[in-house]
Amino acid sequence: MSRVNIEITLGVILVLLTAGLIINYGLREEERMRQFAQHQQAQAIEVGAELYDSNCSGCHGKQGEGIPGLCPPLNDRYFFDARIKEVGWSGSLEDYIVATVSSGRLVSTRPEQYAGQGKPAMPAWGDAYGGPLRIDQIRDIATFVMNWEATAPDRGQAPVLAGPPVGTDITIELPEGDAAKGETLATTQGCVGCHVSTNTGPAWAAGAGAPGIGERAATRFTQPDYTGNATTPEQYLLESIVQPNVFVVQGYPENLMPGNYGQTMTAQDAADLIAYMLSIK
Amino acid sequence: MNKTLDLQDMRKKIGGMVDNRVRIITAGLGLNELRAILRGDPPTEKPNPRYRVHTTSFLFHIRPRYYEKGATIFANTFRLGFFTAFFFFVELFTGLILMIYYTPSPDQAYNSILNLLSNVPFGKMLRDIHRLGAEAMVIFTFLHMLRTYLTGSYKKERSFTWFTGVFLLGITLFLSFSGYLLPWDQLAYWAVTIGTSMAEAAPLFGQQANLILRGAPDIGAGGLLRFYLMHVVLLPLAAILVISIHYYKVSREHGISLPPRYEEGDLSPEKKKEVKQRLDFIPDLFTHEMFLTALGLFLLIAGTVFFGYAAPLEHIANPQVTPLDTEAPWYFWWLQGMLKLGDKTLMGIIIPTVIVLLLFAIPYIDRNPFRSLYKRPIAVGVGIFAVITLIVLSYMGLPHYGIQTPAATRIIQDLAPEEGVGPLRAIPFEQLQTGVYEVGAEVPRDLCPNLDYGCPALTSVFKEFSERVTYAATNDKLPDYKRLPNARAVMVIEDWQQDLKKVTLRITWDDPATGEAKVYEKQYFLHRERERG
Repeated sequence: MSRVNIEITLGVILVLLTAGLIINYGLREEERMRQFAQHQQAQAIEVGAELYDSNCSGCHGKQGEGIPGLCPPLNDRYFFDARIKEVGWSGSLEDYIVATVSSGRLVSTRPEQYAGQGKPAMPAWGDAYGGPLRIDQIRDIATFVMNWEATAPDRGQAPVLAGPPVGTDITIELPEGDAAKGETLATTQGCVGCHVSTNTGPAWAAGAGAPGIGERAATRFTQPDYTGNATTPEQYLLESIVQPNVFVVQGYPENLMPGNYGQTMTAQDAADLIAYMLSIK
Repeated sequence: MNKTLDLQDMRKKIGGMVDNRVRIITAGLGLNELRAILRGDPPTEKPNPRYRVHTTSFLFHIRPRYYEKGATIFANTFRLGFFTAFFFFVELFTGLILMIYYTPSPDQAYNSILNLLSNVPFGKMLRDIHRLGAEAMVIFTFLHMLRTYLTGSYKKERSFTWFTGVFLLGITLFLSFSGYLLPWDQLAYWAVTIGTSMAEAAPLFGQQANLILRGAPDIGAGGLLRFYLMHVVLLPLAAILVISIHYYKVSREHGISLPPRYEEGDLSPEKKKEVKQRLDFIPDLFTHEMFLTALGLFLLIAGTVFFGYAAPLEHIANPQVTPLDTEAPWYFWWLQGMLKLGDKTLMGIIIPTVIVLLLFAIPYIDRNPFRSLYKRPIAVGVGIFAVITLIVLSYMGLPHYGIQTPAATRIIQDLAPEEGVGPLRAIPFEQLQTGVYEVGAEVPRDLCPNLDYGCPALTSVFKEFSERVTYAATNDKLPDYKRLPNARAVMVIEDWQQDLKKVTLRITWDDPATGEAKVYEKQYFLHRERERG
């Protein structure tokens, strides 16, 4: 055989081998593409979790539990089953999340339930609307939120209280409070959303020349502009919690703080919370 | 009325008609001639009909009529030039198809790659081949140049060919580099940000050059479009033009240079005659090219399918987050290494420019008429020195050379790199048992004794974490930035969402210089279906 013949033979063998490789690869293409899409979805959830944690969890809760009276829960049966019907959204829930996160909310759609953190009720997050996030990041957040769908609990009923609610009478005798339990309550009841994480309500911590809430409570009710009925620091704090509109600190509007805490807390809860607040000097 | 059928006459007539048709299609090769070609016989007619196609066909007129037999031996060229051109055509072909699926805008670019990978059959393969071909083209361009240099093939009538070759080296590098930005991932964005920031260091017009490249002070929509157009229009056109000149010189003017030992050595007249023998394009060179093409395609496909070469894709570009280890493409590591040695203007602009000018000028500087290695010790010495320098500089360009990453950052980054998988993310989902794992004096043998299938991957990652923290905590002789005095470290695994866990790695230590307590913490969210490498 001449060199030309050898090369033709080898070349044909190589072409056949190449074709074999391509066909073999092609047979697995469907599976590969499906798997890639799955990895991509998983990565979107991971990225979304990170973004949610640093941008959204302050108001909507680390686990999407929301803040009662302020920000709606996202990890919630109602949110997945009925929300888009309620607002009359024609697209999918995921699109609804993307749209809401991108453009924010000027006013709350449920002001008596979730007032939002002021005006606007929720800021715009999309960079097209002056926010800090790109659209792909917002889509990842939406993918992450949608991943709660299967496990979202029904938060429709009011939480079961361990005892009778504390009511709105500020003169009742409160049991001994536990500041450590109070600190947990501050998170679960949503106080931190306005008084710690954001400046929607007066900050509890000391700052800007003012002492912490514990010290302020000790003197506030003795001041001349005070309009409430408290005679002790404990009473002043209880009044602020269960009858928030009797006296509103200057610079904050009325009706900003939800007025139903008297029904959602037991006397023990209130005592714990007050003990915690008094410890913040 | 009845005429006898003259079969012989009819056969002759039909044969003549077929032959005529064949000659029209093959530009002058009759049936007998084709048969002779396939058999490896000498031409059947005079003048040699196998040369006719070179004057009648445009595509064949740039091909060589013949090469000298001595020049075509494998060890003379290693077919490096052929394969460089081969890869260029592979890039053209795959690139044209990839263009169908690509949109050059920051909003769409990354999505088009995701779509290509998840929704286009053979999309991943095309992208992998395009990338592999690009890297191979850079390698072969360099090797081709090195071979030409070492055999002294740039001398005399070939000096202009060398000149165009240096142009092609530059075009190849820029083609590769301009393609780097297009996927619009972190790798692309930051490599190109660094690359173009070097233009800024140019004296006098640096700012303007940077602005022209990027289209705006930072790379954005304008920069992406510019790089795209450079990649798909400007540079390929330039490459086609210069390759045409380069190749025409070789194929039609001076041919491939003979090995120096044939040209300068003492050869017997018979040997000389054999060396000078013509190897015609048809059939020898043509068949050989076809064979090499089949071989090249096979290797490319096998490289992606069989050896798993894959074009990387990191997270989408994020101008707000600078990756910890930014890395230039490997063919620019030498430049990154040089930049670590000194001033940006001198090392990044002036010296590279001088190097390029020297490359262009080699045929005009080197007046030594000989080509054999033994007769040009200085040139060979300089060549070897240059290659060694290139390798050393490339090593210095690696991200871990000369950059002092603090120990805590380094340890956590090594366990869970910002991009790619890394040991932590490779742990199977079932092994991520929730809990708080503190680094103590003793490294545990098994982190989850309660599981019957155990958690070897989790244990080994935690072991590595413990060992490295303990090493940095107890070794006082390390440089300050590698030490973690009084280190305490913890790994926390929490359930976060359905099929999603959160892993926190935290190291606290006392700063060796100030004694101040420091914390470094990173959080990772790991999904069940994530890629685990």
